[in-house]
Parts: sequence; C-alpha cells; structure tokens
Amino acid sequence: MNYFPDEVIEHIFDFIASHKDRNSISLVSKSWHKIERCSRKRVFIGNCYAINPERLIERFPSLRSLTLKGKPHFADFNLVPHEWGGFVHPWIVALAKARVGLEELRLKRMVVSDESLELLSRSFSSFKSLVLVSCEGFTTDGLASVAANCRHLRELDLQENEIDDHRGQWLNCFPESSTALTSLNFSCLKGETNLAALERLVARSPNLESLKVNRAVPLDALTRLMSCAPQLVDLGVGSYENEPDQESFMKLMAAIKKCTELRSLSGFSEVAPLCLTAFYPICQNLTSLNLSYAAEIQGNHLIRFIQFCKRLQRLWILDSIGDKGLEVVASTCKELQELRVFPSDLHDEEDNDTAVTEIGLVAISAGCPKLHSILYFCKQMTNAALITVAKNCPNFIRFRLCILEPNKPDHTTSQSLDEGFGAIVQACKGLRRLSVSGLLTDKVFLYIGMYAEQLEMLSIAFAGDTDKGMLYVLNGCKKMRKLEIRDSPFGNAALLADVDKYRTMRSLWMSSCEVTLGGCKRLARNAPWLNVEIINENENNDVMERNEEDEREKVDRLYLYRTVVGARKDAPPCVTIL
Amino acid sequence: MENSNSYSPYSSSSVDSTKPSLSVNLSLSLTFPSTSSQRATSQDWPPIKPRLRDTLKSLRLRQRGYNTALFIKVYMEGVPIGRKLDLSTFSGYESLLENLSGMFDTSVICGNRDRKHHVLTYQDKDGDWMMVGDIPWDMFLETVRRLKITRPERC
Repeated sequence: MNYFPDEVIEHIFDFIASHKDRNSISLVSKSWHKIERCSRKRVFIGNCYAINPERLIERFPSLRSLTLKGKPHFADFNLVPHEWGGFVHPWIVALAKARVGLEELRLKRMVVSDESLELLSRSFSSFKSLVLVSCEGFTTDGLASVAANCRHLRELDLQENEIDDHRGQWLNCFPESSTALTSLNFSCLKGETNLAALERLVARSPNLESLKVNRAVPLDALTRLMSCAPQLVDLGVGSYENEPDQESFMKLMAAIKKCTELRSLSGFSEVAPLCLTAFYPICQNLTSLNLSYAAEIQGNHLIRFIQFCKRLQRLWILDSIGDKGLEVVASTCKELQELRVFPSDLHDEEDNDTAVTEIGLVAISAGCPKLHSILYFCKQMTNAALITVAKNCPNFIRFRLCILEPNKPDHTTSQSLDEGFGAIVQACKGLRRLSVSGLLTDKVFLYIGMYAEQLEMLSIAFAGDTDKGMLYVLNGCKKMRKLEIRDSPFGNAALLADVDKYRTMRSLWMSSCEVTLGGCKRLARNAPWLNVEIINENENNDVMERNEEDEREKVDRLYLYRTVVGARKDAPPCVTIL
Repeated sequence: MENSNSYSPYSSSSVDSTKPSLSVNLSLSLTFPSTSSQRATSQDWPPIKPRLRDTLKSLRLRQRGYNTALFIKVYMEGVPIGRKLDLSTFSGYESLLENLSGMFDTSVICGNRDRKHHVLTYQDKDGDWMMVGDIPWDMFLETVRRLKITRPERC
C-alpha cells in the first residue's frame, strides 16, 4: 500500500466514511496518519472540552463538517446548571480565523449566541448545513443572520432548542435568490411565524424535502405549503386545537394526497383528532411517525391511524396508546425497528388503567422481528416479561426502560428486576446502550459486567446496594464510553478502583451518590489527564463555607471526562475543577 | 406499592434556584421510603426532555380548566398602589385587556408600540420584561409573574 502515491491512498481513504474507521486508519503508520488527517473532511467531537479548536484545525486543515457536543446527557433533565458551559463561540472564532472552509456544523447541547451565528454566517462562504439540537442562548435574530448571509444554505434544522423568539421576521431574511433549501425545521420556535414569508420561501425551494413548522402555522397555511411542496418527504405539522370546518378539511386532504413522497410525519402538538385523519391517504407510505407531542389525541384515534401504517419503521408515541394500542402496533407494523413510548401522566394524577404495562412491551417484542431500539416509559414491569422480551428480541442495540416510580419491584413477585435485565444483556449480544430502572440490587450490575460486552452507554438511576455494583460495570464492560449514574449508593471505593479505566471512556456522571470531595480530589491528583468537575448549585458561594471544605462531604454532582487540553477556563462559579 | 406523596405548595423543589418560585406551584415533591439522598423532583424525574415536560404541563393546565387560581399583581406606571388579578378567569388576551381597561379606566392595548395608548407588559419567569401578546395564551399563563401598564412613550 505504501508504494502507491499519496493521491491514490487518499482516494482509497475517501471511501472510508465512519469516524471509527478513519481514526483506526490514522494509527497504522506515520504516512497514513498524515494522508488521513490532511484529507479528512468530517470530524466528530463527542465532548467539546476534550480538545480545543486550535489543535483540531492544526490536525485537520481540510475540515468541512464538524459535529460538537457540549453538556452531558443529564442536562436534558435539568440536572446541569444553564451556565455550566459548552460555548460554541471560541470554536467559530478559531475556525474563522484559520479560514477553514466549513460547510456543515452540527451542535448538541451547546450554548450558541446570536454573535456566534452572525460570525458563522459571515465567515464561511460555502456554508451549507446548520443542525442545532438541544442548544440554547440564541434568538431569532441569530437565525436571521444565517438566513441572510449563508448564500448556499441547504439545511437549517433546529431540534428542541431554547430559542428566544423575537416574532418571526427572520424568515423574511432569506434572499429571493435562495432556492437551495432541502431541509427547514423550526418546530421548536414558540412565537408567531411570518406565514407569507414562509410560503414564498417554500414555493421557491424545489429541492425542499424536509419541512417542520412550529405551532403557529395554522391549518390553511399548512395546506398551502403542502400544495406548493408536493415533493416533501418529511413533514412536521403545527398545532390545530379546533376541529377544522368541512371545506378546510377537504382542502387539506387534497393537498396531502398529492404528497406521494411523504414518508415521515411529526409535530402534532394539540391536534384535534380530525386533523390526524386528513393524513389517512398517505398512511401506508409512512416509515416514520412521531406523535409524542400529541397529548390530546386519545388512544382510540391513535390506534385507528396506526392501523394503516403498515410500513412504519420508527414510531414515537405517548403511553395513552395503551397496551391494546401496542398490540395493534405489533400486529400491523412488521417493519418496526425503533419504538419510543413516552409518559403522558407525570404525577400519577389520572387513575387510568390505559397507560402501558409489561403486556404492551411483550406484545411488541413478539410481533416486531426487526425491532432493535426501544425507549419505554411505564408504570410497572415484571421479570417474566423481560425474560420473554429477551427471548423474542435478541437483536436489541438500544434498550431503555424507565419505570416511573423509582425502586419499584416486579409487581407480581415483589422481587427486584435483576433477573429480567440480566436476561436482556445475556440475550442481546449486540447491546450498545442500556438504561435500567425499578428495584435493582448489585446483582444486575454483575450480569451487565458479565454479559454486556458491546455496551457503550449505561444510564443508572436509583439502583444498586454497594460499590460492588459500579465495580462490576467498570471492570466488565470493556467498551464502556459513557456512564451516567444518579441517586445510587456508589462511592469512593468504586470511583477510585481503576483510574486508568477512565482513559478508555468519554465521561462519567455521578449525582446524588456517595462519592465525597476527598475521593474526587484524590482522583484528580492521580489522573491529571482527567477534568474532574464538581457541580454544587445549591452552594451560596460563601467564602467562609468554602474555607471549611470537609473532605468527607458528599459531592452533589460529579462530571469527569478525559481531555488533552487540561482544565477549561470558562467554568462558572458553581463548577469547581479539581 | 404505595408511596407517600407530599405536596409542598410553596417550596420550590426546582434545581434551578435562579428562577423565582411560582405563585402556583405545579411541582410535586416525591419522597420515597429510602435514604434521604434518593429524591426525585418533578423537574428532573422522569427523565424526559423539556419540550415534552412543557407539553404535558400545558395539557394539565388545560384539562383542569384553570381551576387553580392565578393571582398576579398589576401596576399602572406612575401609580404606587397596584391591583391583584386572577388570570385564570380570562379566556385570552382580549378579555384580559378589556378587564384591565375597565379596572384602570383607560384604554390598554398590547402588541403595537403605540404612542397614544397604554401598552401592557409583563415580567416573565426569567425576570425579563416583555410585551404582552406575542406568545400563545397558555404559555403566557405559565410564564407571567406580574403585569405593568406602561406609559405610552416608554416603549
């Protein structure tokens, strides 16, 4: 291979797309390392504090596409203070300064400012794609700069961001010459939308395949949008509280009928059931359906709709569909690969028996042979059910079960759910992601450590008895990358047993556990290549209290991650880096 | 297995202490019969994302038909003594404005920065002062903390 000129090797490398593979290639030899890094276009950085932008640019001068992740996963559940960090600005500044030909930027859980977006829009003339997931810190003014200045923008995808909405004029900022849009998603915007501007934009974007509007786009506007974009593949609708009148309904249905390429449907927050039925004509074409915000549609309407969706591969739904509904899914959706069932009643206020139980889960596992990913919120579970599920579906890659009440045992035997989860990890040899819940002892972790050989991400809440539990996992799961634990009795012994283990992991999160300040300090001393962050939000920044730090004091939240650039300089007062 | 749920109406069990506590606290503090370190607050359990959490909260509000009263303070700029108003009695912005116009004996509007009329503003849960009328009514109810009727030229 080394007798080929560099250009030939580079050309061969072009066919290797996955980050893992490219990382492996770069380790083969010095010359391969050089060829690989100079030709690398796409880089994925799972933790923005593991490296800094300057080193990134130095190594990959031909960078075109960058993916960055900031806050740890539990930030999604209000466990990380807003000001924790994950600022994208220094990255954009550095990339702009080095004149990197950036075309794509994908950010997850990062803080983005209008200033950052403005700088981004002015610095990269070939910029094509901006995807922001669970980010915050910017307003529609920032979107306006992106719309106005990114002449070649193809994709603007905003998923679940906290955006300060200054009232919808940003859509006007797309120049008339902008016709290249393929994907536009602003479903998370909370304010009014300039409908005329949106309609004009959609009308002049013949390549638009994905359109997800926000709740402020009424039915008649949606009808007009679909009429001028029958080529849509992926549609996110707005919010339609009231039943439409006959004429509006017929117009909508006619527009929908023309969208023969439509494969994916989402949105539907506060949607009157009749609006859902307007989509019957294209049901059988759907491969992806997200009704997880449709809190007001009752189970029977959902069931009636899903009965026609025979080609569904991905379904996100609320538990109001019930076990009966899941049985219908099991008998209808034979192509189903991914299922997410979210809770609709957070505080057990409804005395309803219609939410899902282990029965629904078993039905799905029996009926859907291609199922490989599941996220299931439920009120109760049994070991027998989990054992059956494991037998039916040995192909799970992702298995996340969340029993709403912490520490809840098997409701028929009152035992822990160790055996049930044990069966899952033993049967599913390809399992990469697992979330456990319910009453669990150290034993479940013994099973996980023994059998979950491919496990990369594990989420633990209210589980385990002693440090042994965590140790089983750390010692057994060789491929572990992200471990996140809350409210479990694991302490210093587990944390400190094998410090080098953290070299092979991206990060560890522990909150409301038994680790103490002293333990964390010792870890930080023994592992200078780790950033050991202590988050204490409730602390009153009282200097007096800080001076009397007790090493035996339990740490509220611990987040540690490997890094090559040492302690970050942008941590807020509530974060202490040891 | 039954657990004891303790409702604590005035303690904010929210992790984020920068947010002022609600006058109507919709969060429950669930405590379980195990060690005191094992507590799940309604803000961080079950593990669902903010958008779904908000969707479900609004649903609860609507389903209850706003049975929970929502008293907030209303001030007219320049007048030191304020009034108290139960927002849950209004169906939307129109009825709110009508009522305020009556209460303060002047024409109160929202939205447009009109030099002639009194414009209604509100303080949201982040502490920021905003123009009334931009966001859907349900969302407004969740975030409003107090109202201020400004003098025309200030906006």
